[in-house]
This record gives sequence, structure tokens and C-alpha cells, in this order.
Amino acid sequence: MLFFSFFKTLTNQTVTIELKNDIRIRGILKSVDQYLNIKLDDVEVLELVKYPHLSAVKNMFIRGSVVRYVILPRSEVDVGLLEDATRREAANQAGKAR
Amino acid sequence: MSFFGFNTTLPRDRDHPPSGSRGFFENPDPFAEVAAQALDDDDAIDFEDTYDGLGDQLDDDQDAFNDDTFGGGGADGGKVGRDFDFFGKTAQVSDAIGEEQVRFALQNPQTARVAPQVSNQPAAEPPAKRSGYEKYSDPDFIPDLQAKSSVWGIPQKKPEPSISLPQSRKMMSLEEVEAQMRNQGVHPSHSMPPQIQDSSYLRHPQDLPTLPDGFPNLPPELLRAQFERGGLPPHMAPPPPGIPELYAGGPGPAPPGLPLHMIQNNVPPQNIPLSGPRHAGPPPGQRNQHQQQQMVPPPSSRAGNNGLPIITNPQQIMQLTEDQRSAYLVEDAKRAKRNHKIFLLSRGNGLMTPQDKNFITRIQLQQLVAAAGNVADSDPEAVLAEDFYYQVYSQIRGAPRQHPHQPLGHFAQTYLLQTGARFGGHGNRRAFQNADNHMQRMQQQVQRAVEAAKAKPKNKQLIIEGSLGKISFSNAKAPKPMLNLKRPDSSEGTRPKKIQSDLSISDRKSILTNIEHVYSTLMSMEDMERTMPPPPEDGDADAIQEHLEWRQKVHSLNQQLWKALKVMEPIGKKAIPRIFRHIDQEQRVTILTMIVVNLDSLDVVRLAQPSGPNDAQLPVAVREAIDLFSLAVMPSLLGYVNEAPFNIIIGLLGLVIAQTQVVSVARTKTGLGILTMLLSRAEIVKEAGQASERDWQQWVEKFNDLFDMLEPGLADIFPGSINSGDDMYVWQFLAAVGIGASPEQQQRLVIAVKDRVMETVGYSKTLPADMASQRLGNVNLFMRAIGLDVELLG
Repeated sequence: MLFFSFFKTLTNQTVTIELKNDIRIRGILKSVDQYLNIKLDDVEVLELVKYPHLSAVKNMFIRGSVVRYVILPRSEVDVGLLEDATRREAANQAGKAR
Repeated sequence: MSFFGFNTTLPRDRDHPPSGSRGFFENPDPFAEVAAQALDDDDAIDFEDTYDGLGDQLDDDQDAFNDDTFGGGGADGGKVGRDFDFFGKTAQVSDAIGEEQVRFALQNPQTARVAPQVSNQPAAEPPAKRSGYEKYSDPDFIPDLQAKSSVWGIPQKKPEPSISLPQSRKMMSLEEVEAQMRNQGVHPSHSMPPQIQDSSYLRHPQDLPTLPDGFPNLPPELLRAQFERGGLPPHMAPPPPGIPELYAGGPGPAPPGLPLHMIQNNVPPQNIPLSGPRHAGPPPGQRNQHQQQQMVPPPSSRAGNNGLPIITNPQQIMQLTEDQRSAYLVEDAKRAKRNHKIFLLSRGNGLMTPQDKNFITRIQLQQLVAAAGNVADSDPEAVLAEDFYYQVYSQIRGAPRQHPHQPLGHFAQTYLLQTGARFGGHGNRRAFQNADNHMQRMQQQVQRAVEAAKAKPKNKQLIIEGSLGKISFSNAKAPKPMLNLKRPDSSEGTRPKKIQSDLSISDRKSILTNIEHVYSTLMSMEDMERTMPPPPEDGDADAIQEHLEWRQKVHSLNQQLWKALKVMEPIGKKAIPRIFRHIDQEQRVTILTMIVVNLDSLDVVRLAQPSGPNDAQLPVAVREAIDLFSLAVMPSLLGYVNEAPFNIIIGLLGLVIAQTQVVSVARTKTGLGILTMLLSRAEIVKEAGQASERDWQQWVEKFNDLFDMLEPGLADIFPGSINSGDDMYVWQFLAAVGIGASPEQQQRLVIAVKDRVMETVGYSKTLPADMASQRLGNVNLFMRAIGLDVELLG
């Protein structure tokens, strides 16, 4: 749940999402669920010339499995906390495996 | 010889033997054979035999009315009639059909009542579900597509014999025809009977003055006879006033061409089943109301809703003005839409009993609990474990919180309560008991489900015997694992680690492992801190006990941390501030000592040695490390040093002098920082007068040693060239040295750095004002410390 937990903190931030088909979309992250499906608002497609069919899209729901990258605003990430959260997650996983 | 085995001999040849063989073409007439056979059988088709002689019966004298019958005036060719009103003609016929049906209904009430149900819908379907759209579910149904003569603007005509064709037989231009039609269109026919029957007519059947339009020929005697025979049949409830009895009263077959909502009116309201409290469709009251709206227009509004007359027959539409008609059509469309909606909503009405619904609800609740999995019974701790980053982040940054601490079990409970409230509405005692029972069972079920979820075995897959694959349980909290990694057993997992740490302590991996150890210990300590019980109050033995236990735990963790820290080994820089919070003074001194002793070998010192006089730029990684060190470690150290007793400072300074290459240390930012820290602390202690004479003597000794060691290299402690700009910490250090130095030492200091001072002052004159003042301020830091000022230098 680490990623879910992490992405939840990024709601209402502008993120750029790169899909596995190379389309990159910038928009405001509205919500994320545990499958890392993503809802974007005020969508703007980078390299719109290549994807004119997306020019009228204003918001979208992206299935988590098609996302390649999520490019985050650096200032919104608490690195130290994230490190700790990662440690906790690792500990949890280890605990569950046992 | 015959190609196909036919008898190829011609009849005329039959008597004679074949004279020669010509193959297939022996016979010059291929069809002659047929005729021959027919002749042979003597039943050849004779025209005279087959003709029935109907033509003989034609009477040419009676062709006189052909034109009238077929509408064609063959003789003069131009007699185009204007009676395009096909509908009007059809409508006359349909009127007759309607009459027949009504008469039939009156005479055979039983069959009439049963018939529509059979024809319209399956008998099993309760009549309440009628919406007027039933017909459309039949794929073969073709709605009654009646053209309206109003389209042509021709008013309804009295039925007239077809013989009396329009008088005008002369050719008319299209414009003329249109004009004529328009003229007729605006003058509605006054010959029509009033559309609305007086409500009293039912009670006085003897003076049935008029009938609704479309039934002009229904003999009044017929109706009267019905009434006199004992009123209407019992199943035909007297219709509400204002509606012509023939249409609204009985459930007889609806006359063709009626708007669909009229058909729906045939549904008696009492047939609506009283469904349960969770009726999916509109509440019965509303529904009744809706029907009444359609069925019973208040007598005052005889002109209809919104000034519209009540339409009981499609032909009436034709008599309305354009506005009324369009308004009526809009109304009709609205009604149809609404009916359709109601129909859609009520499609499943009555399919489920309340018990069924309860059953479903229980299943849903169970799934809810199962989906929540182990979290259902979770406390905030578990939530924190699952969702640590989000929880802490939102606490730190005040992000919007979406019930983070509300576990799902809570939700299920509220849901249960709601359901209970709904069931409480039952007035019926028995129903109430039932509901109560359901509630109990549901609660038990949920409890059981929760327990089952708790006790759920860890295996996430189920292999049913004989099945080809595995069935994996997954839910929202624990999605189906895509990778199934086999983890080594815990005993196996730890062994290599141990061996490694035994092999070499200082290799990178084990260092990192150690650091991770430190962190995990730290985190558990922080957890302990979070769960710290409130300070015990007097006489509260339990609380005291609890507190003691907590302290013990903290202490053991502290020991663990200390061990994990392995003071003699390099540790992570970032951990320092967090560690410092949890360790006591002694331990801090040890750490500080370790840092000072190993100052040489610290990467921030070792790697930060400038390799050449003009090589100002250190590698990026080193600069980052230095920044990190000064951000993370220095404040902690400073915080400690500022409280440390004087003797510790002296000891530390001694260590620096004794253990490290002071000159090289002084050439790094970190080293200078630590030295500055120690020197300034000593100065503060001296100012405060806390230092004893003996301590001070010791300090001065050490200081002199330090100064002597530093002096030759003082010019080299500046980083890079003069324009690099980042030399504030050097001036700070020099200031710290200058304060503590004797006048003679100060002089030597000034001589050593004089060049740099002059250079900086000169350089600052070429800079913009703010940067210049900043640089001069840095220099002044030092100058003031020795009682001078940059201003004096001119």
C-alpha cells in the first residue's frame, strides 16, 4: 500500500503521467485508488500534434496498469518520510511473509 | 436410339419402324413429344375446357360507376379529386370497428375483460406493471401508425357516401388547392359534438344526447338498454366523472388509435400491489396520485389541464388549434416519458420479498467485511502501518483528511444501524418481530464474518480438486499478487548476513545494513514515544506500572540502538539528529568524540581536500555530502556543544590537535566548522565567567598549540580564488580565532590573512552593491573580532 499511500498525498497536485504507449499527459491528480488507477483533471497532452484525438479531452480516468511513469512535483515529496515509510513497508512485508 | 432413353419415335412414325438414326436430332421438333403424349392420353388442355366463362357474365352496362369507384375520370383525364384525406376515410372505418368492439364488450363482458390481458401481456404479470409500453417488448409489435389527417390540414368530414365526390372538377393549380385547404383548415368544423360529456349523463342514460366523437352512429338505444338491464356489469366500476364512460370505465379493449396513456388508464388503481417499505418504484401514494391525475381531471377544469381539453379520441386532436395541439402533443410526450421511467423503475417490483432483500443485504455486508480483510478490525495502529506515508504526511502538511482513522468496520456498523432504523418503521407487530430477528441475524452474521476474516488462513489461493487452475482470493486491500516469490526461510535469510558482517565490517553493504538497523531501531523507538502513556498520577498504581514498563522498553531499545550504532563504525549522517534525540549526554559525547577523532577520515573532510590551489570546484557528490553534513549533523553537534561543560570542549580540542592533521582539517569546510564551534563555545564560557582558572589555563595552552599549527597554513584555508564567494565560514572561523587570541597572536593573524582581506575589499568594489556589502560584512566579522573595521582600510 506504500504507493497508494504515497500517491494519495499528491492529490490536487499537477503531475505528468507517461503511459506505456508513450503518451504523456499532464493534469491535476484528482484521485488514486489501490490499483493505482488515476483520475486526472484539466488534462493537457504533451506533444499534442502526435495525438490530435486527445485534443478535446478535459479529464480522464487512467487504468493503473497502463501507467509507465508518474512524474511528480519534487517539492511535494517528503523524502525522509518516504524513506521511513519504505522501511516500514519492508518491515510489514517481511512480517507478512513470515 | 434415344439419348435419354425416351421413346423418340414420333406418333406418326410409331407404326413404322425407324427409318434411320439421326441421334438426338432425329426428332426435328423437340416439343412434339409432349403434344404427342397429350394426344395419346386424350387429355390435352383445351382453352374451352379450362375457361370458367366468368367473362361471359360481365355486364358492360354496369361500368357506369367505375369512375366513382376507382376515382379515375378516364374520359376527360383531368378530374383530379381533392380528397387526399385517406385517413379520414380510414377513420370512418375505424369508428365502425370501435363501435363494434364496444358493442361486443357490452354484450360479452366476461370475454371482453379477459381478452385484453391475454392479448397484451403474459397473464402472470401483475397489471400494476402496465405502463403503456408493454407492447414494445414484443419484438413483432408494430405500433399503430395512424396518419393524422391534420397533417394535410383537412378538417374532419362527416362521413359521406363516396358517390358525392367534390363538385369541382376543373383543373386547379397547386396554389389554388393549397389555398383552399388552408381556408378549410382555419375554420374548424362546428358539426362536431362537444368533446366532454356532461358528468351527469351517466345518471340520466335516457337523455344520452351526444356521444364522444368517433361514435356518431352508435345507437343510443344500445346504451340505454345496457343501463336498463341493471347498470353496468359489476366489474366495470363507474368511471370518474368527466371521462366518457366508454373509454375510461371498463377494462375492455382500448379502441385502436388511442394514445398509449389512455390504455394505461384502464388499470384499476386497486390493482397496485402494496409492496414493502423498500419499494423500488415510486411510492404507491405518488403512483396513485399520478394515475388520478390522468384519470380524474377535476370537474372545474373541464377544458382540461392547462386549458387543454381532455382528449379521448385521436380525432379530437384535429379539432384543436395549432397551439393547443402542439401543447397537447408535448404533454403527451411528457406523460409517455414519465410512464416509461416509472415502468423502468418498477420493472422488478415485487420480485423480491423483504426476506430476499435481507438475505442479499447480509451477503453484501459479509462481502464488505471480507473485503476489508484484516483491516476491518484494525485500530489506528494498523491503519498507520498500512498507510504510513499518507497519514504522517497529512499530519505534517495538513492535507485534507478523508476519514483516515475510520476503519471499515465502523462503516459496516453505521450501515447496520441505518438498516435497523428503516425496519423500525413497521407498525405491524409481527413484521417488527421479523425485522428484529433479521437484524439479530445480520449482526450475528457480520460478527461471524469478522471473526472468519480474522481467522482467515494466510494462503491466498485455493486449489479445488479437479480444477485446472488456482482460485486466488483477492480484495481491495490485498490485490492478487502478480509475482509469487519464494522467500527464504528466516533462518536462511539471516545466516549470510551474519557471515558477511563477520567477514568485513567496513564494506559498503554491511555499513548500509548497519545503518538500516539503526533506522529500524529508531523507528521502533519513535513508535514507543508515540505510545507513551500519560505521565502517572499519584496513587494510580496501574499507570505507574505502565509507565515503568514503558521506560524499560525504551531503555532496552536505547541499548539496542546504541549497540546497533556501533560507535566505532561510520554511520549515516542523516540519522544523527534523530539519534541525538534519543540518547543521553554520555552517548552524545561519545558520538561527538568519535566524529572529532575521526575527523581526518570522515568523507566530508577526506574528500574535500582541494587538490590544487586553484581547484575550487569539488565534485558534486562531495559538495552535497558536505551540505548534508552541515545541515544534518552540525546543528545536533552544535546543540550539544553549546551545553557541554568546558572540560569536554578542552578535551575535544586536545583530541583534534593530537589525533588529526590540523592543517588539512582546517582546509575543509567541515573541519573549520567544528573548530569554529569549539572555539566559540570556549569564548562564550569565558565571557560568562564559568570557566575556572585551571581550565582556562588548559584551554589557552591548547589554543596556542592550535594557533601555532594553523598559522603557516592560514592563507590556504580559503577556498579557491577570491571570486568564488563562498568564504563566509572562513571569516567566521578567523573571527572565532581572533576573539580568543592574544594581541600578539591577533597581529600574526592579520599579517597572515592581510592579503586576502585587501583582495576581498578591492574585489567587492567591482561587485553590485548588495553583494559587495555582503562580502565586506563577512570580512568585517573577522575585523571586528580583532578590534578593526573594513572602513578603516579605506
